[in-house]
Amino acid sequence: MSGIINFTRMKGCIIVRLEVPGVIQYRDIMLRTLSATCKLIAPGARARSSRASLFAAHLVSAVGEAYNNIALHGYAGREPGMIRMEIEQGSDWIRVVLADTGASFDPAGARLPDLDALPESGLGVFIMRSFVDEVAYVPGPPNVLTLFKRLDEPREASPNSRRKGPAQRV
Amino acid sequence: MLFSTSAANDVTVLRIEGELDALSVTDIRASLNTIAEGKPARVEVDLSALRLIDSSGVGAIVSLFKAVRAYGGSLTTTGVRGQPLAIFRLLRLDRVLIA
Repeated sequence: MSGIINFTRMKGCIIVRLEVPGVIQYRDIMLRTLSATCKLIAPGARARSSRASLFAAHLVSAVGEAYNNIALHGYAGREPGMIRMEIEQGSDWIRVVLADTGASFDPAGARLPDLDALPESGLGVFIMRSFVDEVAYVPGPPNVLTLFKRLDEPREASPNSRRKGPAQRV
Repeated sequence: MLFSTSAANDVTVLRIEGELDALSVTDIRASLNTIAEGKPARVEVDLSALRLIDSSGVGAIVSLFKAVRAYGGSLTTTGVRGQPLAIFRLLRLDRVLIA
């Protein structure tokens, strides 16, 4: 097994590619890479540090939950494959694509949790969907999950928010 | 993830540092059960040094909250900020867990 980080620049966008074994122990490498990439977004936004920090917090949370689903459920009961992450960073947006060869799970099929009941589980997909602007999933193999988030005007994270962005199907 | 507990005057303080997530939560579950079994009147969870929490970590804290509430105790969290605060607000835990 090996991990590879690849950095390229294309059409004004920064693209970071990373591939790690699909086990939970490697999640931190993915999230720290993503967190560092978030710091590159919109230099002007750095002056609005609270918004930029919230952007990073939301995106790291969403990708972390997606990673958990792959490592803990997608590869459960089988020899884990790799998880490939591609981060595309634009002027004020980031697209994250996660690819894996585990069991497919479309996040659109997950039920909304009853937050008033203080659930102790089943929150991962809700967190993921709430903290990004767009989610796209193509079952595989490989399964490809695309998360898109734009740094925009402050608003409360909501599972009903569906601003369209350039999410793509790979 | 590092954690420590201290108890005085029927108040137990649990301090969690670093990251409480799917990888680290197994390290703390036994200690959370021990806290609940002691039935302190009040439990304070100091999260001022918690950098990241995921749904697994939330589940552990909520589980402790329910266990404490079940015997009539109270649990509050303090120092929640950054990514953990964003998670708490999304899940509306700030209304029940933050003093």
